[in-house]
Amino acid sequence: MSYFSNITNAITTLVDGMKVTMGYFVRPREHVTLQYPDEVWPIPSRNIGVGELDSYNTIRSKLTVNIDDCIGCKACERACPVNCIHIDAYKGTPEDNLQITSNGTQVKLLTASFIIDMSECMFCDLCTPPCPENCITMTPDYQFISNDNLKTEVTPEERWRDKNLLIYQFSKVSEDERQRRKAEAVEAAKAKAALMAAKKAAAAKAAEEKAALAAQVAESAPVSAEPVAEVIATPVETVKPEAETRVDIPIETITVSKPEESTVSVSDSPVTEASETPPTKENENG
Amino acid sequence: MIQSLANWILSFEVLSGLGSSVAWGLSLFVVSALIFVFVAANAIILVYFERKVSAFMQVRLGPMRVGKFGTLQTVADALKLLQKEDIIPRSADKVLFIIGPWIILIASVVTFAAIPFSDSLLAANMNIGLFYIVSISSIVVLGIVMAGWASNNKWSLYGAMRSAAQVISYEIPVGITLIAVVAVVGSLNLQTIIQAQGGTGNLFHWIPIPLPNWFIFHSPFLFLAAFVYLIGATAEINRTPFDIPESESELVAGFMTEFSGLRWALFFLSEYANATLVAFLVSILFLGGWQSPFSNYAGAQIGFTIITLVAAMWTVFVKAKVNRLSIYPVGLALIITIAAWLFPGFAIWLASPGIFWMFMKAGSIIFLLMWFRWTFPRLRVDQLMYVSWKVILPLSLINLMGVAVWMWLTGEIQF
Repeated sequence: MSYFSNITNAITTLVDGMKVTMGYFVRPREHVTLQYPDEVWPIPSRNIGVGELDSYNTIRSKLTVNIDDCIGCKACERACPVNCIHIDAYKGTPEDNLQITSNGTQVKLLTASFIIDMSECMFCDLCTPPCPENCITMTPDYQFISNDNLKTEVTPEERWRDKNLLIYQFSKVSEDERQRRKAEAVEAAKAKAALMAAKKAAAAKAAEEKAALAAQVAESAPVSAEPVAEVIATPVETVKPEAETRVDIPIETITVSKPEESTVSVSDSPVTEASETPPTKENENG
Repeated sequence: MIQSLANWILSFEVLSGLGSSVAWGLSLFVVSALIFVFVAANAIILVYFERKVSAFMQVRLGPMRVGKFGTLQTVADALKLLQKEDIIPRSADKVLFIIGPWIILIASVVTFAAIPFSDSLLAANMNIGLFYIVSISSIVVLGIVMAGWASNNKWSLYGAMRSAAQVISYEIPVGITLIAVVAVVGSLNLQTIIQAQGGTGNLFHWIPIPLPNWFIFHSPFLFLAAFVYLIGATAEINRTPFDIPESESELVAGFMTEFSGLRWALFFLSEYANATLVAFLVSILFLGGWQSPFSNYAGAQIGFTIITLVAAMWTVFVKAKVNRLSIYPVGLALIITIAAWLFPGFAIWLASPGIFWMFMKAGSIIFLLMWFRWTFPRLRVDQLMYVSWKVILPLSLINLMGVAVWMWLTGEIQF
């Protein structure tokens, strides 16, 4: 008898299944497909926009810079945990026609280059709070598919991988002007270095003369040992300044998250600690 | 059709010097090309509909980007397949690998020579048409075994062996079911079988419901036989839920694992040609082929009114529970009904036999096959054999004997 009950069971269950599929077939408009380029999901209603973009209920997405308000302070560059913001700011000249920002601050530095490498950005939103002028903000654009982005020429060392479409140059300064300012800055640095070298040489010479004088004095009075120590302490300038390591990390962040470890970690390895620090709640909400 | 085409060619004065044999050969070529074009175009259209039907049954949209509603998607796919590299594995048996797909394709296309699309439109009016189709379509398994063996791949070989076992098992119940139909008509000629189903009569001869004289309404046994044949034929053409020869989740792609490009397209073509063949055969054997369901124009009017009323009642009943139900079927039935009442010529056309009804019936069966495919889970190998030998085969034997007894009881035959 189980033979026939088996067959009956099979038929009834198959008919049940067919009813289900036909039930979906007769309502084709209840589909779950999102026709992506034509339709997109609504953006979550969280308000992290700042300033002019306050009305945007943005998710963490593409960064944008209102370059007219930028004063070139590099606060965002220092705040970035992944070094994806690169700013070149030079001392302004009267020809640069520097404006007053919407906050009423007089711009004193010419922001010749303001590059954000969105291929390295980790969307932590840590760069927006430090900005004194609220000019770097996050936009609702998370798709990165627009044709009219701010893509411009990138420097040769950034060209090593094919990410040109994700490197954004926000500065309005022309490429020639940028190169000129860069060369000028390099020359100024060279002159400064030469000046320093000359100073150093002069100091060394003076020290030598002093030592010679001291030796003469020592010949006459051999008890004193003080000038020898002075000679050893002279070459201070040979210590390389830590230009690449970022000492100016937001220390508040560290102290908020790990107050008991802050002093030790900052003095030990500030760079690692800063990149490993999770963003706090305050930063998340902007 | 070949002979009439040859006569038509010879009827032109310019071409009359060709001679009858040349004209016959020319028309043979033309008809063969027409059949192949029909099969290819049919596959392209059916693939599109299969994808759409599956999408709607899975609450998706299906192809939408190529052409309006994705109508050109399969054309694009076909062009892509034609451009693909022709890869033959190094350790494959080259000869068998090359001729395997062609044997499958030829065996599926050639069967269409005997399919009567209407009372005059058929390539070859054979008096053994049914036997021809059954025997030729069995050659497909030969090509599958060749392809599976030649691939030198364990999945391919598994698929081929499964396919051979499956097709041979299901040939028997399918053949016996066909004998039940042939026993009613007394002929293997498909035209004769269709002509025997004309007119209107009572359901199962005695129950006073006026229905067309189709064999599915001939007797309870033939009613069952229709479903037995549908199940057996679905298994024979390796369609889901009987697709164990190419079961994607177990055997990659079964016997077509190593095939790509054009050769793979041939498999696909033959798959849909086989599905169409089964649909045509079910329509011919059980649903009256090109016969209209209505015997006269009044019948068409009343019949479509009843269909519209039933559909409307069903829609109203279901719509209370189901949101956003499609009302297009009811609307279409309503339009046809109004047109049939307003224009008697339209009703007469509906009541007359023709190619329209043939394709309507075949299309419904193809939709049924798609419905099966996107609803049922695949059978295990032992379950497949169980269904064939222990369920379908006894049922088909009972059907054959039952039909004989039924015909004796109703007085269709006397001993």
